[in-house]
Amino acid sequence: MSLDAGALGSKMLAAALPILKKNAVDAESFASVEFKKIAQTMVSIEEMLAAGQINQQQAQLLLDMQKSASRSVLLTLKGLALLTAEEAINAALDIVKGVVNAAVKFPLIP
Amino acid sequence: MAPERRHTIKAESSNIAIKRRQQVVLGWLMIWLAAVSLSGCAVKFIGDYDAAIDTGVSDVQQRAEVYFGKLKVDPATPYDPNFYNDIGARLTVLKTRAHILPQYPIIEQQLQELQGQFDRLQTLDKGMTRPFPIGAITAAESAITISVESILRLELALKRGDKNAPSLGATK
Repeated sequence: MSLDAGALGSKMLAAALPILKKNAVDAESFASVEFKKIAQTMVSIEEMLAAGQINQQQAQLLLDMQKSASRSVLLTLKGLALLTAEEAINAALDIVKGVVNAAVKFPLIP
Repeated sequence: MAPERRHTIKAESSNIAIKRRQQVVLGWLMIWLAAVSLSGCAVKFIGDYDAAIDTGVSDVQQRAEVYFGKLKVDPATPYDPNFYNDIGARLTVLKTRAHILPQYPIIEQQLQELQGQFDRLQTLDKGMTRPFPIGAITAAESAITISVESILRLELALKRGDKNAPSLGATK
């Protein structure tokens, strides 16, 4: 039995796409919540500076802490993206496993 | 050459090109599948869940919350270098662990960010005249909480398919 690249590709895409879409929505919702918190804190730092409760150096330290929190959020998104890619690839492989293994007559995809 | 003949030749060469493209795609697909097969297991781009990092980061947050709590209740609470030494030591241990774990550079970098936040908080705390402004405590606390949440969220996601693991939905 010969393999049809077009049909295999369509099956793999159909298996991977829902995972990519779902995880993208989850990641967006996580980033949205965390970036809103960071934005609110930045506003409060500006207000404290304007009210003279903290000086410029202290405001800078607090702002640097928020920037670091943003980097941490982005690193989590990077990790979640890797997990999503992993899940999508594995789902795509799983869906064509039977056809491919039957065609090559050995368990090419374990 | 007759127009019909020219049309037939064009269609045939187009079919050959499509078939050749499909063969190339199939070839790459087989190479990729072979590479996956040789690895003997599912594709993995990032490390596995690590309970020591999960509990270690939660422990750091708990200690930080106690310190923030003291400052909020009494903003005249003096700067405590022991708190920062303790947190620094705990984070160093976690960073060392993340460094040796396979495929853990992201969490190692996040622990580095968290360490940097405590270093800045220490500079702020040391130089801040008392009473410590509540707004500044809240701003520092918020940044540290977001970093801790980010690490824990990724760490829990690394449980992969564990039905008992928290979902990847939004926090709070």
